Amino acid sequence: MTAFVVAAIAMLVTTIPAGIVIARGNTLADAVVGFEFLTTVAVMVFALLAEGFQRSSLFEFPIILAVLLFGSGLVFARALERWL
Amino acid sequence: MLKEVVTDVLLALAVLTVAASALGVAFMRTPYARLHYVTPAAVVAPVLVALAVFVTEGLNVYTGGAVLTLVFMVAAGPFLSHATIRAMRVREHGDWRGPGKTDSPDKQEKRDRRRETEDAPQ
Repeated sequence: MTAFVVAAIAMLVTTIPAGIVIARGNTLADAVVGFEFLTTVAVMVFALLAEGFQRSSLFEFPIILAVLLFGSGLVFARALERWL
Repeated sequence: MLKEVVTDVLLALAVLTVAASALGVAFMRTPYARLHYVTPAAVVAPVLVALAVFVTEGLNVYTGGAVLTLVFMVAAGPFLSHATIRAMRVREHGDWRGPGKTDSPDKQEKRDRRRETEDAPQ
């Protein structure tokens, strides 16, 4: 197990508090912030795993997720503003 | 050997940054305060991870992937934070400028008309 895989696992552990905030946050805004944190960490976990497993093709996941993170975050922000 | 040590240190710093951010997100009281702690995880940690990949691999396809990911995250982070805070203020006060601030009647009319057009069934 390389240092990159260990770092990925450690980062996954740090998503637990964000999960709790999403599930039990006081307001919807708290949940949206938790979601943004979670997706940010997910991008890094994918990048770390791609490097850890030495598969260059796996780097497509974090790149695509980073782009989708921006779009989904804006959609959630808009929904928070007008519909939720 | 030195390369591995530097990589490990960079990765440890990245994990510590994300862990500290996670604690901030979990324990701050307001969503505004929580959002402050997303920024280090979205900007600082990806830089450290990309540096770690660069130190390990040198200039190759792995580093390219890591840097591309980093660019998207660093570029999107501030916009996303701004949009989220704006949405939270609109939700709380009805206007992003805060309580008691409203648009001129002309602007309000235009906005209402635009929303009606957007919400109208196609």
